[in-house]
Amino acid sequence: MSKWTAAADANRGTLEFSIAQADVQKALKPAFDKNKNQIAVPGFRKGKVPMSLFMQKFGEEALYQDVMDIVLPAAYDAAVAEQGITVVGRPDIIPVSMDKGADWQMKAEVAVAPEIKLGDYTGLSVEKQDTTVSDEEVDAEIKRQQENQAELILQEDGTKAENGDTVVIDFDGSVDGDHFDGGQAKDYSLELGSGSFIPGFEDQLVGHVAGDDVDVKVTFPEEYQAKDLAGKEALFEVKLHEIKRKSLPDLDDEFAKDVDEDVETLAELKEKTKKNLQEARDEAAKDAFEDAAVQAAVDNAEVVGGNLPEEMIHEDVDRQMQQYLAQLQQQGISPEMFFQISGQTQESFHKQFEEGADNRVKTNLVLEAIVKAEKIDPSADEVAAEVKSLADQYNISEEQVKQSLSDDLLKHDIAMKAVVDKIVSSAKVK
Amino acid sequence: MDARDIIRRPIITEASMAQTEMKRYVFEVDVRATKPEIKRAIEEIFDVQVARLNTANVRGKKKRQGRYVGFTRKMKKAIVTLKADSKDIQIFNEG
Repeated sequence: MSKWTAAADANRGTLEFSIAQADVQKALKPAFDKNKNQIAVPGFRKGKVPMSLFMQKFGEEALYQDVMDIVLPAAYDAAVAEQGITVVGRPDIIPVSMDKGADWQMKAEVAVAPEIKLGDYTGLSVEKQDTTVSDEEVDAEIKRQQENQAELILQEDGTKAENGDTVVIDFDGSVDGDHFDGGQAKDYSLELGSGSFIPGFEDQLVGHVAGDDVDVKVTFPEEYQAKDLAGKEALFEVKLHEIKRKSLPDLDDEFAKDVDEDVETLAELKEKTKKNLQEARDEAAKDAFEDAAVQAAVDNAEVVGGNLPEEMIHEDVDRQMQQYLAQLQQQGISPEMFFQISGQTQESFHKQFEEGADNRVKTNLVLEAIVKAEKIDPSADEVAAEVKSLADQYNISEEQVKQSLSDDLLKHDIAMKAVVDKIVSSAKVK
Repeated sequence: MDARDIIRRPIITEASMAQTEMKRYVFEVDVRATKPEIKRAIEEIFDVQVARLNTANVRGKKKRQGRYVGFTRKMKKAIVTLKADSKDIQIFNEG
C-alpha cells in the first residue's frame, strides 16, 4: 500500500508506503546473521549465540536498523512502481513508525522526473553549414605541409640574420650587473620572430652575422613570471654562432610524393587534399546539423512545472565527472593527481560540468518523452543486432556485451537513436 | 527441601544449548540435593518426565588476593535427559 502526494513544486512529492510485518519477520534472520559475529554473550563464543536467545535477551528491536536496510529497497521500489512515478536522485526516506508486530509506515521525500510537453519535433527547419572547400584553403593546407617539410640550412659566414631564421647563440643576462638565475645558456637554438623570448630580444639579433657579439638590451614585461625580474631592464651579452635559414621544398611532383606516397603529381595531391578537407567538413556539418535539429526539438519542448529538479542536474554532473576521471584513470592519472596538477578543487570541477548540464538533462528527457509518444519499442531482433554491432565495434564477444549491458539499457539506447534519426531525417535545411 | 530451592538456575552456554536437541538440559542445583530429589523437583517445576539424570560436583576455584587464599563458590551441576515423549523445558526454547 502506498500513497503519493505531490508537493507544490510539481517535481517533488511525498511517497508514503508501508512495509509488511511479514517481510520484517523474514528479514530478522539475515539481519541477525549479519550481526552475530559482534554479539558477545557470556557462555558463548562470538557468533555462536542462538538467535532465540538473542531475541530473549535483546529483543528484535535491536535488529531493526539492519532489517530496515534489507526490507527497505524492495518495499520502496514496489511503492514507486505502484505509483508509476519516475524518481530521480536519492529519496529522503524517514520512518514514520517501526512498531513491533505491526506494519511499518514510511515516508519518502522524492524528486520526480518532470513531465515534458513536447513541441514540434519532426519537419524542423535547421540551418546547414556551408561545406564548400575553396582553392585557397587547399593551398593553405599544402603550404602548411610545405612548412612541415622545410629544412634548416646552415648559412655561409657573412649572411645577415633575418626574421624567421633560426640562430644558435650563447647568452648571459644580467640586471644591474647581477647575473640572474636562468639567464645563461650555451648553444641555444632560437627561432627569430617566434616570440619565445622576451619582446625585443629577437628583433635585436636581426641583421647580425655569425660570429658577432651583440649586447641586447631589453625590459622584462610587467607581468613576467619571475616576480623579481618583472619590469626590470636587463642586458644580455649574446654571441651569435650560426644562422640557419628555413628552406622550403619546391612545390612539384617530387614534393607531392614525399608528402603522400599514394599520389604521383602535385595536382593529384591537391585533389586529394581537397577531398579530405571536404570529407572532414561534411562530417562536421552533418554532426552540427544533427545537433541543431535535436536542439531545436528540445527547445520546442517544455518542462512542465518550469524547473528541472536539482537532483537530476547533480546526477548528470556527477556522471560526467566520473566519466572524465575514469578516462584519466585509464591514462594512469588518479583523481588525486588530477586535482593536484590542475589546481582544481572538487567544487570548481563540479561547477565546470554544471554548465550545459541543464541542457543535457532536458535533451534526455525530451528524447525519452518522444520515445514514449512515438511508442518506439525495439524488438528482440533489434537488440540482438545492436549487441552484434557493439561486439564488432569493440572487438569483444556478444556474451560480454550482454553481460555489461542489460536488455533494457540496450533497448533504451536503440530507442534514443531511433528518435534522433527521426528528428534528423525529417528535418529540413533552412 | 522445596523444589524451587533445589533448582537454582538453568545453565545457558554454548555447550548446554547444543544438547537441547537431544532433550538434555543442564541446571545448577543445590550441592546438598540428591539425584532423586533433583529428579522430583524438575518434574514438579517443568511438568516433564525425566529419563536419566547425571550430576557433577564443580569444585570452587582457588583465588587469592595478596596473601589471602580462598575459594570461589562450589556448585552441583545436574544434566537432565527427558523422556522422548515428554514436553520440552521452555527456558531453553530454541527454534
